[in-house]
Amino acid sequence: MISIDRVSRPGILHEVSFEARPGRVTGFLGPNGAGKTSTVRILLGLDRPATGTATINSQPYASLPRPLTVVGALLDGSGAHRARTARAHLRWLAASNALPRARVDEVLEAVGLTASAGKRAGRFSLGMSRRLGLAAALLGDPPVLVLDEPFNGLDPAGIQWMRAFLSRCATEGRTVLLSSHLLDFPVDDVVVIDHGRVVARGTPAEVQGDHDSLEDAFLSLTGAATW
Amino acid sequence: MRAELSKLLGLPTAWAGLVLGLIAAPALVFVNTPGLRRALESGRIADLGYENLGIGLLGALILGVVAVSSEYTSTGDDSPGAHQMTATLLAMPRRSHLLVAKGVALSLVVAVQGTLTASATMLLTQVMLPDYAPPFAPARIAAAVLYWTLLGLLAFATTLIFRNGIITLTVFIVNSSVVSVSYLLTKLTPWAAYLPDIVGAHMFLRSMPGETHIPPLTAGLVMTTWVAAFLAAAGFFFTRRSA
Repeated sequence: MISIDRVSRPGILHEVSFEARPGRVTGFLGPNGAGKTSTVRILLGLDRPATGTATINSQPYASLPRPLTVVGALLDGSGAHRARTARAHLRWLAASNALPRARVDEVLEAVGLTASAGKRAGRFSLGMSRRLGLAAALLGDPPVLVLDEPFNGLDPAGIQWMRAFLSRCATEGRTVLLSSHLLDFPVDDVVVIDHGRVVARGTPAEVQGDHDSLEDAFLSLTGAATW
Repeated sequence: MRAELSKLLGLPTAWAGLVLGLIAAPALVFVNTPGLRRALESGRIADLGYENLGIGLLGALILGVVAVSSEYTSTGDDSPGAHQMTATLLAMPRRSHLLVAKGVALSLVVAVQGTLTASATMLLTQVMLPDYAPPFAPARIAAAVLYWTLLGLLAFATTLIFRNGIITLTVFIVNSSVVSVSYLLTKLTPWAAYLPDIVGAHMFLRSMPGETHIPPLTAGLVMTTWVAAFLAAAGFFFTRRSA
């Protein structure tokens, strides 16, 4: 269970609160610059909120003893130093959380990078970098996944691959928090954020309300309809 | 700790530092032998061999810088703002623990490298200049290794404060090889001999240029204090800043 409780950062986030419930895919939607990435970074202990708390299973991320076994996160970029091979990157990550080395080859296979395992991360295409990031997220086989804009910049084949991957995670019963500025994946719950404030949350049907589609609801909630 | 070791040793630039540190000082013995012979004939023999060890600190500096700067290098053109530190902090969110692990990994690598280089350099000096070489002195070698390790940590802390390796590397390399600002300052005030980058050399060199004579133990303590202060400052910033 992910719980964000009245998290604020001056000028960026204003009392943001929501939950991502176990075993469900929660879509965290909002236009670019709405505060999605800031919220995710606070949840993962990378940035500090001015006020409020963000917890995973009632614990702040920073106090998880082996965080990779609890939460897998995908942020911008692969996280690997350009000069490092995909395998070397995953190996140090595995060592940092006392995970068996065998997991490295397992996750490389899970994201389809086995053939490129010895390639330096700096030579990866954007789609491959994203997959390497996912491999890192899966390393500890975590029950919770936090994915920030996983579709960004992907070509159609990459988008298709990412959809299939997310479907698999959902059927495996993982808790998924999926931040996106697009409504391109079926979700169980929706949280809509705009200008640093949560403007709607609930099931897709609840958020859609009287609008013709969830997309219409999203556009009118975020004021993007004026475009 | 193991992760940090594997991370550091998985970087090509770290190996450049290792190789440079490993071979520079022994190589200098070869290159420098004729000059040394002349110096020896004029009677300056206290630091024979040890003087050459100074160059090896470049390796320690590079390692110290790379251990941090590699974390802040952009991971790719597609995502210019992304760097490895994000992955590092996701795996090890306790920043104080992370810093200790990094510092220990770095110290280990530099110490092993330093021991090998310093021993090789001194043995080589005995081979090249058997009549003049001072007896093999483990304590002085240990002091030189300690100097390198502390310097590596100093570079590490400085890079962490600036979050940029170029600044640290430029300052330290220029200062240690081209023009030593610290050394020039000793001309103005004898207190400059206690500056972090030069005080440590008193631990293993007996005939330092300049007026001030600092006993090895004092030098070691002063340098350790400097390094501790820099590390504390780096830790202060690192644990409070957003990643």
